[in-house]
Amino acid sequence: MQYFLDLVIVGLSIGIVYGLVALSISLVYSGLDIVHFAHGEIYMLGAFLGLVVFQFVGAGPGYPLVLLGSMVLTGFVGVAIERLFYRRLTRAGGGYTFAGMGMIICSFGMSIVLQNVAFLIWGPKALPFPVPFGMPIEIGDIALPRSYLWIIIAAVVLMTGLHLFLKKTRLGLAVRAVAHNKEIAYLMGINVPLMISLVFGIACALAAAAGVLIGPINYVQVLMGIGILIKAFAAAVVGGFGNLPGAVVGGLLVGVTESLGAGYVSGNYKDIYAFLLLILVLMLRPSGIFGVDARVKA
Amino acid sequence: MLEIDSVEGGYGSVQILNGVTLKVARGQMVALLGGNGTGKSTLLKAISGLLKPTGGTITFDGQRIDGLRPDLIVRRGLVQVTQGKEAYPAMTVEENLRLGAFVRRDRAGVRRTLDRVFEYFPVLRERRGQLAATLSGGQLQMLCIGRGLMSEPKMILLDEPSAALAPQIVLDIFRIIGRICRDGMTLLMVEQNVRMALLLAEYGYVIKDGVIHIEGPAEALIGDDNVRLSYLGGTVADRDRGLGLH
Repeated sequence: MQYFLDLVIVGLSIGIVYGLVALSISLVYSGLDIVHFAHGEIYMLGAFLGLVVFQFVGAGPGYPLVLLGSMVLTGFVGVAIERLFYRRLTRAGGGYTFAGMGMIICSFGMSIVLQNVAFLIWGPKALPFPVPFGMPIEIGDIALPRSYLWIIIAAVVLMTGLHLFLKKTRLGLAVRAVAHNKEIAYLMGINVPLMISLVFGIACALAAAAGVLIGPINYVQVLMGIGILIKAFAAAVVGGFGNLPGAVVGGLLVGVTESLGAGYVSGNYKDIYAFLLLILVLMLRPSGIFGVDARVKA
Repeated sequence: MLEIDSVEGGYGSVQILNGVTLKVARGQMVALLGGNGTGKSTLLKAISGLLKPTGGTITFDGQRIDGLRPDLIVRRGLVQVTQGKEAYPAMTVEENLRLGAFVRRDRAGVRRTLDRVFEYFPVLRERRGQLAATLSGGQLQMLCIGRGLMSEPKMILLDEPSAALAPQIVLDIFRIIGRICRDGMTLLMVEQNVRMALLLAEYGYVIKDGVIHIEGPAEALIGDDNVRLSYLGGTVADRDRGLGLH
């Protein structure tokens, strides 16, 4: 029983990181109609930038600062990428709604570019992210490592923040309007290009947060984005692609499935379980768990 | 208030507007009439900034607005009211209305305008917490008109307020549009329902093939043989059905 609970806790904390990346992928998709394949690299970049901030701030109480710093930096990198590269493409393709295949190829290209840029700056070695979290917390028989606790708390705070932003603020309302229909949003007096930057920036910041959160558990390395991208896509599709709460639930499901599979069946096939789950969900409910009419978004 | 001078424009290489000229004075209601594919909607897009005109000038309140980004045109007080189907279905009635007031920062003022909109359309007050997806066609149209008023514009452009609505509901909506105009609003109304539009408006333009074909005071247009033949239908049967252009 204790083994099972341990596995679930590990699964949930990894899963919520998947959920965070899936959430940001879904946000870009529902907001800008872009399927962004370079998002794994944004996550990787977030982890490295977190490391950079970490070297400035030092250990000690700086971890929330590291998280925030990396989110802000990566957010601005994301905005720059979108402004410089994606916007030309989407504009030529008839605006964000019909971006289509060109955009997909471009984001694949961006993923390779970012990998190589990171390689040039930080090299091929896996770097440790030595954040001292202190001793695990013991609840009954279960020893809960603090890093996992950190992950869960930070991710929940970020997700709640995003939810409140979208539902309760004037700017969030505008973001939802832009997500649903850009022409009508224009007629409401909303500065649509600015909102597009905002959405992309927020999505990149969330992916960066995921990278910083996973850093202390895994190493930080150039190729870390590929694995998570695939898992996060699986999570997003399981939850219903483009659905924000769905992405989080999908992430948790993928994380727990993976952890249980690795614990009870075999760790060698760790990466298979997520896709077994994906296939199962797609067979039973092709639009994903929360997937409804694709036209009613945001 | 709004002066459009030989505006040209279209989509890609397809030119739709071939030099449209029209004028709307302050406090006036003007009807822009025409069948499908004559350039009505394209002209609206050119005015509201969704389409960059390739020629001609558009002047609003003494300043050129052609080629300006749509949100900046809204900030100058010229708002396009969309058709009812363009309300945001996944948002509540109140969220839709608040979105209309996006350019405003004064909370108290927004609340006052909200009350005024609810006064025009009491049904929206009853349903303020409901998703727009649950509204009927007529209510959606009311919501869109209300949304357009929320920014306290100087002038509104109405895009076919009668589209796809039952005659009785069209009558209700036109009555309220008339009231909004009497309360001091300047309106340019694009319509296919020619008879209703001309009964309400002071002046009318008929657009055809991207140019203004006929223009004149509304009473004169209703009496005009050309308009009658082309748009009002010559037969008793048409008149009884209350159809304009079909």
